[in-house]
Amino acid sequence: MAVRTPLFVLLALIPPAFIGWMVRDGHRAMVATAVPAGKPRPSGAEADKILLALFQGDLGGATVKEKVTLYDEKGLFDSIDGAAPIFIERHFRRQAATELATADGSDVDCAVYDMAEPANAQSIFDAEKSATAKPVTDFPDAIAGPMSFVFRASRYYVKLTAFDKKAEAALPGLAKALKGKMK
Amino acid sequence: MSSNGPPGPYDKVPAAQVPKGTQTTSTPSADTAGMDRRGVLRVGATAAMALGSVALGLGLRERGSRKQAADLPTIKDHRADKPAGATDMAIARGPDPAANVRKAIEALGGMGRFVRRGERVVIKPNIGWNRTPEQAANTNPDVVAEVVRLVVAAGAGKVWLTDASVNTPEQCFGRSGIEKAAKAAGATVVRPDASAFREVNVSGKLLRTGDVLFPFVEADRVINVPIVKQHGLSLASMSLKNWYGVLGGQRVKLHQNIHLSIIDLAAMVKPTLTILDATRILLANGPTGGSLADVKQMDTIAAGNDEVALDAFGATLLGLNPNDVGFIVEGMKAGLGTLQWQSLKTVELGG
Repeated sequence: MAVRTPLFVLLALIPPAFIGWMVRDGHRAMVATAVPAGKPRPSGAEADKILLALFQGDLGGATVKEKVTLYDEKGLFDSIDGAAPIFIERHFRRQAATELATADGSDVDCAVYDMAEPANAQSIFDAEKSATAKPVTDFPDAIAGPMSFVFRASRYYVKLTAFDKKAEAALPGLAKALKGKMK
Repeated sequence: MSSNGPPGPYDKVPAAQVPKGTQTTSTPSADTAGMDRRGVLRVGATAAMALGSVALGLGLRERGSRKQAADLPTIKDHRADKPAGATDMAIARGPDPAANVRKAIEALGGMGRFVRRGERVVIKPNIGWNRTPEQAANTNPDVVAEVVRLVVAAGAGKVWLTDASVNTPEQCFGRSGIEKAAKAAGATVVRPDASAFREVNVSGKLLRTGDVLFPFVEADRVINVPIVKQHGLSLASMSLKNWYGVLGGQRVKLHQNIHLSIIDLAAMVKPTLTILDATRILLANGPTGGSLADVKQMDTIAAGNDEVALDAFGATLLGLNPNDVGFIVEGMKAGLGTLQWQSLKTVELGG
C-alpha cells in the first residue's frame, strides 16, 4: 500500500506532464504524406558512416574543402530553412552538406539527402524538378539547369550547385563519381 | 517552375494523427474489475491532483516567462511620419538596379524623408544563402550598395548592414557580393557572430523573447531590403519574412507556425522604409535556389513603408494571389498594412 500510492502518483503524472511539455514547447509531430518507410535499413550510425564515406576517395577530380556537416530533421531548418518540411514529409533521414573545390579551384555547393527509401528520394526529386531544367543524357533521374546538377540514386537525392562556369563544367563528372559510390 | 506543392493552406506543419489500427479495446482486467469504490476515488483524486499540479506548473512558468520578457529591452517603432500628400509606394522598372532604387526613392520624396542627419541607420538585406547574385536567393548587391549610398548622402551618422544568415556567414556575405559592395558604399557590415546579438522582448503571439542583432536595438531608423522569391513553406519570402534574419537561432520553432511567427517579428521591427528587390526573382526551389532555371529577370524595384502592400505586389510577380499567402493576410489583420496595394497612392516609373 505504502509503495503502491506514490508509484501510482508517479505513473499518473507522466502523461499529463508529457502533454504539458508538448503544448508549452509547441512541438508538432510531422506526418508522412509521401512514401512510407519500408524494410529494415542500416542503423543511424551505420547509415551516417555510409553517407560520409561518399565524400572519401575520388570525386571526379574535386576535393572536400571543409568538414562535411550532417543535419538531422531538426537541424535541417538551420541548413535549408523553409525548404525543410517537404523533405521531412518524405522521410528524410540526414543531409550531408559541404563545399567542394574542383580541380581548377572553383567551388561547388554539395548537399546529399539520405532518405528512408529510394521511393522517398524519387519523390523529392520529382517535387523539386524545375520545369525548365533539362534531363541528362545517359544519366537517369538527373536534371541539369544552368549552375546546377541534381540527381537521384538509390535512396540519395543530390543537389550540386556551381558558382561559375568552370565549376558548372565540372558538375557532371562530380555527379558521376558520387553516384558510383551509391549502392 | 517547380512542381513541389506547398503543404497546405497557411502551411502549418500538420499535427500528429493516430494511425488507423492503433486503438486498443480495453477489457476490464481482474484487478480493475475488482477495484472497490475507494480505489476508484483514489485513482480519480490522484489523476486530478496530477493534472492540477501540471496546470499550476505551466501557469507559473508562463508567468515567469512574461515577467522575464518585460524586463528586457524592446525594439522601438522606427516608422517615419508621412508628409501630407506624399506617395505611399513607388515601382521603378529598368535595366539598371541602382537607377531603379534612385527613381523609386525619389518618387517617395527622397531619402531625406526617411533619414535625418546624424541618425543611426541599419539596413537589412537578405544575405541568408551561399549563393551568387545571379542565383537570386539574396538581395542584389547593386541594390544594397545604392541604398547605402543614399543613406550616407542623407547624412546618416552611422550605417550598419547586417543579417543573420542561414548558411555560414563568411560564405553568404562573400558569395552574395553584398559585404564588398556595402563596405565600398560606406556601410559598417555586422556579421552575425554570437557577440552581435542582444536579448529583447518580442511581445509576440508566439515569440516572447528573442536574441536580435544589436543594430536593431540601437538604430534610429531601419531599412528593409528584401528580395522577392518563392519559399517552400510560406509560399513567398519578401518584406515581412525578411525579419527572420534579425533573430539568432529558433528556426525550428519559428517554422512550426510560420505565418504567425513572421507577423510577430514584423510587428516587433516596424521599419522606416522597405525597398523590395525584384531585379531577379526566384520562382521555384526557394528559399535556397541554386539553378538559374528557376530565376526570372524582372528589373523591378518597389519601395514604400507598407510592407503588407509591398508583399502583396511582390506576390503577383511570383504568380501568387496575395489572398492565398498566409502571412500577407495575417499582416493585414494585425494592422501592419493593406493587401490592396492598388488603393495606395502609387507611382510607377519606367518599363
